[in-house]
Amino acid sequence: MPKVSIIGAGNVGATAVYYIAEKNLADIVMVDVVEGLPQAKALDYLHAAPMRNYHVTITGTNDYQEITDSDVVVLTAGIPRKPGMDRMDLMKINVDIAKKAAQAIARYAPNAVVVVVSNPLDVIAMATLQETGFALKRVMGMAGVLDATRFRYFIAEKLNVWPGDVMAMVLGGHGDTMVPLPRYTRVNGIPVTELIEPRDLEKLINRTRTGGGEIVSLLKKGSAFYAPGASVAKMVEAILKDEKRVVPVSAYLRGEYGYQDIFLGVPVLLGKNGVEKILELALTDNEKIALDASAAAVKDGVDTLRSFFSPG
Amino acid sequence: MIGIIGSGNVGANTAFFLAEKGVDHVTLFDIQEGLAQGKALDMMEAAPIRGYRTTISGTDDPGEVLNADIVIITAGEVRKPGMDRDALFQANKKIIIDYAEKITGPDTRVIIVSEPVDLLTTLFARHSCLPADRVMGLGGVLDATRLRFLIAHEMAVSMENVAAQVVGRHGDDMIILQDYCCVSGVPIEHFLSKETIETLFDQTREAGSLIVELAGRASAYYGPSAVAADLAEAICHNTGRVLSVSRMLSGQFDITDAALSLPCIINRTGASGILIPRLNDDQIKTLATSARIIQETLKEDPHA
Repeated sequence: MPKVSIIGAGNVGATAVYYIAEKNLADIVMVDVVEGLPQAKALDYLHAAPMRNYHVTITGTNDYQEITDSDVVVLTAGIPRKPGMDRMDLMKINVDIAKKAAQAIARYAPNAVVVVVSNPLDVIAMATLQETGFALKRVMGMAGVLDATRFRYFIAEKLNVWPGDVMAMVLGGHGDTMVPLPRYTRVNGIPVTELIEPRDLEKLINRTRTGGGEIVSLLKKGSAFYAPGASVAKMVEAILKDEKRVVPVSAYLRGEYGYQDIFLGVPVLLGKNGVEKILELALTDNEKIALDASAAAVKDGVDTLRSFFSPG
Repeated sequence: MIGIIGSGNVGANTAFFLAEKGVDHVTLFDIQEGLAQGKALDMMEAAPIRGYRTTISGTDDPGEVLNADIVIITAGEVRKPGMDRDALFQANKKIIIDYAEKITGPDTRVIIVSEPVDLLTTLFARHSCLPADRVMGLGGVLDATRLRFLIAHEMAVSMENVAAQVVGRHGDDMIILQDYCCVSGVPIEHFLSKETIETLFDQTREAGSLIVELAGRASAYYGPSAVAADLAEAICHNTGRVLSVSRMLSGQFDITDAALSLPCIINRTGASGILIPRLNDDQIKTLATSARIIQETLKEDPHA
């Protein structure tokens, strides 16, 4: 049985565990710094095992050593922004958390593929890459799959068709600067541009852009975790089963699409080695402009990251 | 309840896939006494291991399946090596007219799998009292499924990520819509050369025949059964799948009184909501020719 470790036993991590266990994809280890929390959630899942027919093991721990020899490690750890907290302070705290986790991953699971979920995604992915020293293809961020699944759902709801028949391609950073590609967004092959009026489509795109915020404002406290958890599980499954899925993930670019040394959402071939190939699509001028803006935002974040460690 | 007429390879495997997915109770029927009951019993004896929550039963009384919510027609001759689809038509047309006249429930949804599917779907619709959207033939979606396999195999990507649309008449004049063939939304011409695409399209057109030739005696049945089960599930669960099925046209591309495949929204009422694809002049011409061939073949039919 393959092994997956989830670092961070919050809602996203725990929901990913649920989907992975339901499909019996891998033995699972949940790690969290909070004592008792991962143990409690793991035990709670195991109590459901007789009914849900899990034949994977689920372990909760505060000890990183338990992730030894994991095939995939999912990094969800980090703290949410609290009222009055500066975005920079938040970034600094979460980068520190990610670096500690990355050191543990490098030590105990040196062959793992790492899926980063913590925000700010592209910055945390960069910190994780640097700290693990892993091959570029073995570190990636989860964003595009989530943005795409939200977009797919909104389109399916609008057309009254099955969401599974809707495919979408979303590039760029997560959230505000995402770049949906309507001409590559299709209902079982039929471009949505032939099925939905441009004005209506624009509304769906905007709703996708603010999809995370819509959930936050409904919940009042807390943020989305079912769709993010499902997106993580889908990526984990693609890696474990070597599915060679074509999905948008945040991948390290070395000149692809004209960008150097940043993590940015692009379509990749996802398989057992991680990001096995970055697929370069021909973009229109407008799409390129939007992607440039997205890349610039990511670059800013990474520059900030560097400033944390620069002398003085 | 889903009734399946014909308990040969296609009928039995459709029942099997439906049971594996737990879609609804299935009743199998066959004119050969005992065959339906035997296969149903065999499947139910696997139920403790496979965890079926729906039942499969068998009968040799057609009355028990004709009143089902969904009737899947797989009865009739199957293609043998060297046999063309027109020879099949002569063998199967009587059976289809017979069932069309016997199914009287106004809400019955009918899925025709027997070949040649577009001719039989047209004939069934003509002789039946059912509205046009309740009668669908397993056409373009099967060709599209085979093409999806071929594209995914060629590119070594996940099959689930590949979409394709095939419209028109099932058989040699099927119309493959290249602009609608994509991988995770991205058209295949981004990934494959013109020559490769043309080869894959040729293989799709020959896919049914290749299986007949390879298997020697049986024609394809896993693919068709999987598609039939998928359609039944979409109807049962009111899913809204977007699949290309053969149904009577009512003026689309100026065609009436012939069943041809176009992308439809499959839900509780059947093949409703035809999504009109973008076709070029050649494709429109092919579609018109296909319709004319169907009408020509059926001109002796008293209901024409």
